[in-house]
Amino acid sequence: MVRLVFLGKFSDVAPAGLAEIALPGDVRTLKDLKHWVARQEPRLGAAMEEARTRLIVNQCVAHDLSQPVADGDEIAFLPPMSGG
Amino acid sequence: MDVRITPQAFDPQAEIAAFAHGRHDAGALVSFVGTCRSDTGGAAVDELRIDHYPGFTEKEIARLAEDTSRRFNCPDLLVVHRVGAIRPGEAIVLVAALSTHRSDAFEAVRILMDYLKTDAPLWKKESGPGGARWIEPRPEDYMRRVEAEKG
Repeated sequence: MVRLVFLGKFSDVAPAGLAEIALPGDVRTLKDLKHWVARQEPRLGAAMEEARTRLIVNQCVAHDLSQPVADGDEIAFLPPMSGG
Repeated sequence: MDVRITPQAFDPQAEIAAFAHGRHDAGALVSFVGTCRSDTGGAAVDELRIDHYPGFTEKEIARLAEDTSRRFNCPDLLVVHRVGAIRPGEAIVLVAALSTHRSDAFEAVRILMDYLKTDAPLWKKESGPGGARWIEPRPEDYMRRVEAEKG
């Protein structure tokens, strides 16, 4: 299983069913996962398409979408931030 | 270095007083308090909600504060940032710096605020009679961020 966390405006369109998923067989990298999520939930895919999306794996920033995804990972999808 | 994320309302003046208490070695104290406005661009705001990513948000803000501290020789920085539901008039963020001379403290507070605007993992949503909308950094926030990086 992998845990998916959708933050900010992504949380408005992310269904609860995506919070924990069995890793699909064809998902090996973060790029695969992002495409898989967009296929499952087109509204989420569209929101990620229009915003600069950063991925965080097990609380560390992912700099490369070819990074592999493993069972037990927590992956967060971050839209542009707005603190202060 | 004191970095805190809190879902509770806080009193900026009490925080600043506690931060500076007994620090007779510091010649300068600079602070900035950002407050929830009751309207933005003519639209009334009833509530601001700030989402965070527990663990990661704290870690990233601490990293930004440490970078700023090193850069401006300002070991004493205070950051308090609200998350959750915030009412107009309540403080959202407090950044304060103690230093020997004023220029380091002024710069540290200014640059750390610029970083927080674009790099802190926080997401603001304003709601009012006209509905709710997510806030994103303005182009000038990104420009200030670029300037801050250049020094």
